[in-house]
Amino acid sequence: MSEFRRLTMPMSREDARSLRAGDMILVDGEIVITAGLPTVQRLVACAEEGRAPPFPLDGGSLLHLGSYSQDTADGGLEILYMNPTTSTRFNRLMPGLIRHFGLTAVGGKGGLDADCVQAMQEVGCIYLSFLGGGAPLHSAAIEAVREVAYSDLVAHYRLVRLAVRGLGPLTVGIDTHGNSLFDTLQEQAQDRLPAILAQLAKDRATAGG
Amino acid sequence: MPITYDAVKALSANLYDWSLRAVPADTKDGLRRALETETQDGARKVLRMMLGSAQKAEQEDRFVCSDAGVPVYHVTIGSAARLDGDIKAAISDGFDELVARISPPLLKHVTNPLTNERGYKGRGMPLVTWDVASGADWVEILCQPKALGSGRWAALETFSFPTLAEIEAYVMKVVLQAGSQHCPPVIIGVGIGGSFDVAARIASKATMRPIGSVNDEPVLAAMEERLLRALNATGFGPMGTGGDTTALAVHVDYAAGHGYTPVAVCFNCWINRRTRARLHADGSVERFE
Repeated sequence: MSEFRRLTMPMSREDARSLRAGDMILVDGEIVITAGLPTVQRLVACAEEGRAPPFPLDGGSLLHLGSYSQDTADGGLEILYMNPTTSTRFNRLMPGLIRHFGLTAVGGKGGLDADCVQAMQEVGCIYLSFLGGGAPLHSAAIEAVREVAYSDLVAHYRLVRLAVRGLGPLTVGIDTHGNSLFDTLQEQAQDRLPAILAQLAKDRATAGG
Repeated sequence: MPITYDAVKALSANLYDWSLRAVPADTKDGLRRALETETQDGARKVLRMMLGSAQKAEQEDRFVCSDAGVPVYHVTIGSAARLDGDIKAAISDGFDELVARISPPLLKHVTNPLTNERGYKGRGMPLVTWDVASGADWVEILCQPKALGSGRWAALETFSFPTLAEIEAYVMKVVLQAGSQHCPPVIIGVGIGGSFDVAARIASKATMRPIGSVNDEPVLAAMEERLLRALNATGFGPMGTGGDTTALAVHVDYAAGHGYTPVAVCFNCWINRRTRARLHADGSVERFE
């Protein structure tokens, strides 16, 4: 038995709400990924203009993961490798997408800002933190490539729907209750800074003496 | 015998290739040591995943990170080295050859900063620095591909006659700005003094020093030790989701300057991509990392 809770994606709202920041989980099922700013801008345009995205996102996931996708000889698609990108690059665009598509999970690495946390709390959406430099582990969890859209863009910008098995462990970085590890840790570091600087001064005095 | 265009081209391609498929030994040792001292359970799990990812990459010949970054080379030419051919072109051609042959293929990360268009080529690519080693008859090339985690959070500020307290407070400020973003635990390079470009280069070079090596300047060795403790007291932890291990090492170096003192701080993410080898006059290749 794995020490990690195992959840299926697209995640039910109930499962999303049951998670707490700091939990670590394994994921099976289907995920949607992209590492492209232009891609996310296109999805925002779909939402704003009332057009359907290339494949349905409602109640699903949109994870900031880049991948190398290519055609196979038998007419299918394969992913050669996959890994997270920095999510804060998408801060401005994510609240609208989370609300419009009622996403249950977003993710990548490094977290998202307070506006996103607010949208996630309203909708019931979690943020999953992936291991950066984890391409060998993440790629091994890919079972099949379901669909690739926006193929006019460079490979890592494409919107990809994947079947995965045992993806993770992933850390719940932001939960549906307004808790963000990233915000908490930043506040904690700011709070600790005066004591840290005082300790540095003490250490300098000792080194000098 | 002279060091040839072909030798430099082949080594430039290989160094980049090798850097993508393994985590340096000193860095894995640093992660193992961190695992022994880390007190938070979740952080220990993340550290174990990092070591697992590094091991799987080596065993299965996979890329550790999908972001292969942009090609960055630091070349040191011995003043007694004999060269045959355009070794500057050789480095650029070596990268082109790698792009053409590498499996799996690289994603396109070379970005035109004016249009954000991405490809494999661009103005000024590869990014190369040149240095000279007095008396040596070899050419050394260090490859350190740079991506967001190892590039985005670097910063530089210029002070007038700063105290050590001000310098160290600035390092902490940059560390807090980066927060959870740069795939910690990181290797931090600090460059003090010189001029704007020299401080930045010193900081960058400092990240290349092996983890666990002791600075031979006692003042800097003490500064590195206390800054490492300070950085790890912030609590950001592995992947910035909490823990005692935010940095594996802090390396500081300096150059004399004018009194206006630039302080540069730069990072390398936990995979710490870095490969280095020397081309010798007898035609041999000596690989260090």
